[in-house]
Amino acid sequence: MTRPAPSGAATVFREGRRGPAVPAGPRTAKAAAPRGRRTFSWRRRLAPYAFVLPFVAVFLAFSIYPLFFTLRLSFTDWHGTGAAQWVGFGNYRYLLANSAFWSSLGNSAVLWLLVVPVQLVLSVIVAVLLNTIKRLRSFYRVAFVVPFVMPLVAIAQIWIVLFDQNYGAVNAVLGAVGLPPVGWLVTSAWAKPTLALLFLWKTTGFVVLIVLSGLQQVEPGLYEAASLDGAGRVRQLWSITVPLLRRSLMFSVVLQTLAVFQIFTEPYVVTKGGPYNSTTTAGLFLFNHINRADLGTGAANSFLLVIVVMAVSLLFVRLLRAED
Amino acid sequence: MNPTLGRNGRSARSFARRGTAIAAAAVLAAGLSACGPDIGSASGPAAGGAMLEVPANASPKGEITIWDRSGDLFKVFDAAIRKFTEKYPGITVHHEAVDIDSKLQNTLITGTDVPDGVFLDDAKVGGYVEHLYNLKDVLAPYTKDIAKQKVDVNTVNGGIYGVPFDLDPGLLFYNAKALSAAGIDPNGIKTYDDLLAAAKKYQQYKPGAKPIHLEQNAFNSQLQLEMYASQLGTSLAGADGQLRLNSAPYQQILTWLDTVQKDGLGTRAEYLKPSDVGALDSGDEVFYPWAIWFDYAPQQQLTATKGDWRAMALPAWSDGGARSGAMGGSSFVIPKDAKNPQLSWLLYQFLTFDQAGYTAVYGPNEVYPGGTNTSIPAYQPAADPAKPLFQPIDAMGGQDLWQTAVEAGRQIPGGAPIPVWWDGAVDYLGTDLQKMLDGSMTPQQVIDQAGKDIQTNLIERK
Repeated sequence: MTRPAPSGAATVFREGRRGPAVPAGPRTAKAAAPRGRRTFSWRRRLAPYAFVLPFVAVFLAFSIYPLFFTLRLSFTDWHGTGAAQWVGFGNYRYLLANSAFWSSLGNSAVLWLLVVPVQLVLSVIVAVLLNTIKRLRSFYRVAFVVPFVMPLVAIAQIWIVLFDQNYGAVNAVLGAVGLPPVGWLVTSAWAKPTLALLFLWKTTGFVVLIVLSGLQQVEPGLYEAASLDGAGRVRQLWSITVPLLRRSLMFSVVLQTLAVFQIFTEPYVVTKGGPYNSTTTAGLFLFNHINRADLGTGAANSFLLVIVVMAVSLLFVRLLRAED
Repeated sequence: MNPTLGRNGRSARSFARRGTAIAAAAVLAAGLSACGPDIGSASGPAAGGAMLEVPANASPKGEITIWDRSGDLFKVFDAAIRKFTEKYPGITVHHEAVDIDSKLQNTLITGTDVPDGVFLDDAKVGGYVEHLYNLKDVLAPYTKDIAKQKVDVNTVNGGIYGVPFDLDPGLLFYNAKALSAAGIDPNGIKTYDDLLAAAKKYQQYKPGAKPIHLEQNAFNSQLQLEMYASQLGTSLAGADGQLRLNSAPYQQILTWLDTVQKDGLGTRAEYLKPSDVGALDSGDEVFYPWAIWFDYAPQQQLTATKGDWRAMALPAWSDGGARSGAMGGSSFVIPKDAKNPQLSWLLYQFLTFDQAGYTAVYGPNEVYPGGTNTSIPAYQPAADPAKPLFQPIDAMGGQDLWQTAVEAGRQIPGGAPIPVWWDGAVDYLGTDLQKMLDGSMTPQQVIDQAGKDIQTNLIERK
């Protein structure tokens, strides 16, 4: 059934959308003139567009244009000079049939498994501790953030020295307790966990900050009530803290998924993608194409990577919504 | 229900506006994306070919921007450029330290702020020829006096795209003190079989030692493999671009490396990383077949064995064969989009072929008081055994490395061009080589697998 709109509703709606209503009272001669009112109205209408125009221009120039440019490039064979050759889906077919491409995705997936679940658990524990402790709280918070702000290349160099198979500090410690040396960075079995450890050490402080901010949103009264009901600390953690941190945790998962699939500097500096390409991540594999001026394949690779990362991220977003 | 309201309270008009805005943005973006490269039907990019001509002006004037790697050589060039501007006061040189590997490609592709000259690894020159001047004409007066190997590596489809700068002969570095203690005379090492025998003898003297360096970095191991191949007058691909991996020289080299691995005679370590330095300083690793620039190690890296190291010509692959091969090296390239390419040619002509220029580079300087001894000039009149540009090296027991390197450099055979895809081959050949050195592939498997991958992924996709 069509219900008639209340008298003047449309007008009120439009006025509301466009700013405060003009106060009642005598109008100036200029405002009263039809021509002047039209000019004023156009200014009002155009003003928002004028304000967002700089952003739109920057967005078009640095996001939309490169996106379309790269999409177009992904269908060509172009090495940076001369005319590009249209190859249709050739670059995509090549990559999808290339074992090295799948291997790079597999390496990133393994790193994700080694990093993200561990990082979540670790971050919750550390954040809860940081939220609980009173003494030197600021010091501990800074201490956890310091690795995140340290230059990655410097950390990577430290890793090389620490994990050298013959003369590294880690193997020296193992040797002191009678254990055999491990080829941390030179065997395909250990290189990924060693890189994952570097990434964990570097970025866990950042996730801790996110979790900590989520933790501080939790109403303290909930804990008091739970305590009165006889719930212990572990029960409170499991039944109150973790469920209420779900949004922060899922946000961290999405962020870290993006970060893990873009890992580049760590393997580039520490292992050069080796041994045997076992640490050639999706990001490094993509870089290798671009670095060799194989720009068409690189562009196709980036789109495939975007699709994979978007799919994984959307999966987590869906999970979050489902829980809501 | 109000027909103007959508299910979510959004008006159809609002949807229309948004749709129009999105469509406009898409059209605009699509239009912008058309600003990319032209789409052609040719089977690949057009060949380069802008030929650089010698400047006619006797008193040239102008400004040039030159890119070099940062570090010690940058400072050496800085001083040499001051000599150049004394000769050409009308030319101002902006000398910039740049991460060339990460910046050059984008700069050449976009054509923005393109330098007038760049110091570039020989292995990478081939990959940039479409953006570079062909220097064949300006180099013509000098070509016959340049080491043939350096001309070959800068030659692509008959054009020469780099001013050959340094020659990096492979040498056998050895720990003279350790060998002496083991009763090994290095002068008796004439062939690679002799080297194996000496390594076994050293291992008997020092059980647990792994005397010969086996490179653990994929890129460096491929570079070293090419040194051995250069010694045999070959390289991964011929001038026609055809792969030459499945050939007797590569089978011989890979079999030898595999033997070193299987016999437990090789230290698996990455060039001058902690494991390598540790093994060198502990006397476990005493033979290092490498380019002349390994002399940096006894001068700067080694502590316990500093002063114990010497260098000699590489062993030959067969009696009477060449005793050196080229490993690495750099040249000067001039981009086609350079503003003053002729002025940068004058600079490189000065640094490479003018006595005042190459003396300023290789002779005693602020950075290397005894001279720059990590390479020798590719211009043969500058590499005169009787006129050393750098002095004997204290950290190598006072050895006259100039004499050794110049004589080795003259033995490097030519015929070893570097294919444009050389760098990309590391993912296949370099990786498979590492697998072989770890014992999981045979030499023939490396040849077959890497050959197939290079052919499929690099040659056929160019």
